Amino acid sequence: MASLAAAQVQEVRSITRIERIGAHSHIRGLGLDDALEPRAISQGMVGQKMARKAAGVILQMIREGKIAGRAVLLAGQPGTGKTAIAMGLAQALGPDTPFTSMAGSEIYSLEMSKTEALTQAIRKSIGIRIKEESEIIEGEVVEVVVERAAGGGGAKSGRLTLKTSDMETNYDMGAKMIDSLLKEKVQAGDVITIDKATGKINKLGRSFARARDYDATGDTGEIKSEIREQINGKVAEWREEGKAEMIPGVLFIDEAHMLDIECFSFLNRALESETAPVVIMATNRGITRIRGTNYKSPHGIPLDLLDRMIIVPTTPYSHQELREILNIRCEEEDCQMSSDALTVLTRVATETSLRYAIQLVTTASLVARRRRAAELGDAEQSDILFKPYSGYISVKTVVLDIAGVVYTIRDL
Amino acid sequence: MHKNTIWYKSLLNAEKTCLKEDKIKKIHYKFDDGKEMVEEYNVDTHVLLRRAWKMKGKLGGEGKWAVEVGDPIPDATPIIDGLDISESKDQPSLLKRNTRVNIEWRIRNLPYPIETYSIKANNEDKYIIISTSNKKYYKKLEVPELYRLGLPIEQKNIDATHKYNTLIITYKKPQPLLDMDKDLYEEISKVKPMTDIPNECKAQ
Repeated sequence: MASLAAAQVQEVRSITRIERIGAHSHIRGLGLDDALEPRAISQGMVGQKMARKAAGVILQMIREGKIAGRAVLLAGQPGTGKTAIAMGLAQALGPDTPFTSMAGSEIYSLEMSKTEALTQAIRKSIGIRIKEESEIIEGEVVEVVVERAAGGGGAKSGRLTLKTSDMETNYDMGAKMIDSLLKEKVQAGDVITIDKATGKINKLGRSFARARDYDATGDTGEIKSEIREQINGKVAEWREEGKAEMIPGVLFIDEAHMLDIECFSFLNRALESETAPVVIMATNRGITRIRGTNYKSPHGIPLDLLDRMIIVPTTPYSHQELREILNIRCEEEDCQMSSDALTVLTRVATETSLRYAIQLVTTASLVARRRRAAELGDAEQSDILFKPYSGYISVKTVVLDIAGVVYTIRDL
Repeated sequence: MHKNTIWYKSLLNAEKTCLKEDKIKKIHYKFDDGKEMVEEYNVDTHVLLRRAWKMKGKLGGEGKWAVEVGDPIPDATPIIDGLDISESKDQPSLLKRNTRVNIEWRIRNLPYPIETYSIKANNEDKYIIISTSNKKYYKKLEVPELYRLGLPIEQKNIDATHKYNTLIITYKKPQPLLDMDKDLYEEISKVKPMTDIPNECKAQ
């Protein structure tokens, strides 16, 4: 029979794209063991044990739903892994938990007000898992008959015959169904399934997997509060029926000192709402002026908001940790590096910054690749083309052996 | 023998409400496990006309009534738009009826001659299976009346006729089932009908 099979929930997985290598693409988690103790080097994370352990505790609280509506502040110098910890937390939470990442300066836009931008970010970080029930018709197409009313235009009516091994059934179709059948180029002999409620047609037996996209945002401007209320109402209704459940996610605001006093006051209020996500902020400022006021405050965040936060400090990396991080980055960027070169780069990282050293990995590997393409062994051509800020002069000549090519970095 | 079955005991223990309207007697059962069932009897013949169960929505919410025996309840609010595909009106439709001595299924819109059908009792899955030699129709018929009493489906009790595009399958009720019907009706007669009938309980 053209069976009305029970709902077949299809796991739709997005096609893995070849990703560009991002600054934190080596982070795969927080690098904690089952007891939430940080491992020395794991999942792309190195050192920063206290902060990672703290993040692990927060992770557990989020999983248990205990921390919804509270905030965490990651504070530390530049390049001490604040963003990395937030990314690691996102990875550890898994793909089911919504994770929104934004920079503090993102909220300043002419298109929408600051609070609107924050509201959208907050709402994006709340996930709703909806269970669906659908009736599915499945069978082999025997024939498709489409009749048009005489004189062109007008209403179309159609008839679809489906068969299975034991029986045949005729279906009447409306105009929408006919259109989608034609669009899918359904012919006699195809084995198809049709979702009765949505009219979604799926051809079986062919490599055909269509990603279902439930992205309801797509907003460019502000969303009217009436619409939000309607959605809230609908969601509340679904939750009561047991059809939907709420997943509080994580909103990560980098460079939180860029938010101004109005935003902080708005956040104070927004965090109290029952649908608030966990807000994680990161800042590299110490005592600084709160934007929009003349007051100074730790991290540039007003004290009343600070009181609602758990503050996780990060500390500068040790020499050995820097070496490990550079090593991981080299692997991530597909470069091979001699241990001498690593030593040099680590020194660069200590004397300037980790970010600059990581920059050098990329540029050096590009130079090396080009050199091999031109001619091997000519050391003079591979002078460093880049100069760090003026503080960097202590390393005179170094040798980097990347991808088997020897060349020199000379201070220009 | 039927008096010891779980089914009969649950019927006796259920909270029963009775409504009487013209020639129809309606019994509402509320079972211990929260399930609800409604039966309609013809007062003159003592024959069950309709039996329906209240279904729980799988995703919560108010469920519909599923008719086990008798004419289907007309849908008060048919969803016209939204369903862009539906079975044609000329497709076979199944109806189950209860008579004094038989359980009866009528399948309308089946134009094929009687020799096309093969009707088999399948005791493994507790179904009567109808299949067609031209592979146009296939149906599994449940016989809850029998397995509630722990009775097997017997091929010799099945009979079928075909006329006016309708296939009629009858199953002769075995003696224990007849006994139970009789006892149950007596039991129901003890339930006093409600005097003031709420408006929405009128028979359809």
